[in-house]
Amino acid sequence: MEQQPELPADLPRAWDRPVVTVPTLTVLSLIGGQFPSFSTQANIYAIGTGGALVWIGLSNRVPRRPVPHRLRSGAVWWLLPILVFGVFEASTFMLGSRDDFPTFSKIADPLLDDSLIRSVGYLAWLSAFWGLVRR
Amino acid sequence: MRYVAIGGFTVALLLFVAVEWAARREGSRIPTFGDVCAYVMRYEVGPVPVGRIALFGFWWWVGWHFFAR
Repeated sequence: MEQQPELPADLPRAWDRPVVTVPTLTVLSLIGGQFPSFSTQANIYAIGTGGALVWIGLSNRVPRRPVPHRLRSGAVWWLLPILVFGVFEASTFMLGSRDDFPTFSKIADPLLDDSLIRSVGYLAWLSAFWGLVRR
Repeated sequence: MRYVAIGGFTVALLLFVAVEWAARREGSRIPTFGDVCAYVMRYEVGPVPVGRIALFGFWWWVGWHFFAR
């Protein structure tokens, strides 16, 4: 796959600015928040928006921020939240994700039934996705 | 037991916020989470950007898992 050299992120294209991306991601999130779980629309929308971002991210159409060539020594601290989350997710999953010992997604499901919270979640997901694409 | 699980996930999320906060301090030796992700995404096997594909794929699945299924 052809690799494009990293472009400095401080030379944004007209559409690659917060004044464009923030409203765009907000509108996409408000739309996504209206589709209930397990619906065909929700599947198409999540796969479609995610697929579009994967395509943008792999096709080198967006300038990327500089990448660190080495990680600083304190990177090991990131293992702490990852391990704590991983231990609880693995243990709740292996015990069947019961109501009395639920996985993270089982805890989140009732919250995501509300369309506003669902839209906020969508915004967090899409914003983080956009951040990955820019890296 | 339910509160143990909720408490565990809450602690994990608070630790995530705390480490990110520590990483953003002046002169910190801890990289931000974005820098860690960017470093992982640099990994390539030949011409294939394996790290980039893996992180995009994982995050795509997370969105589908929470918002579609």
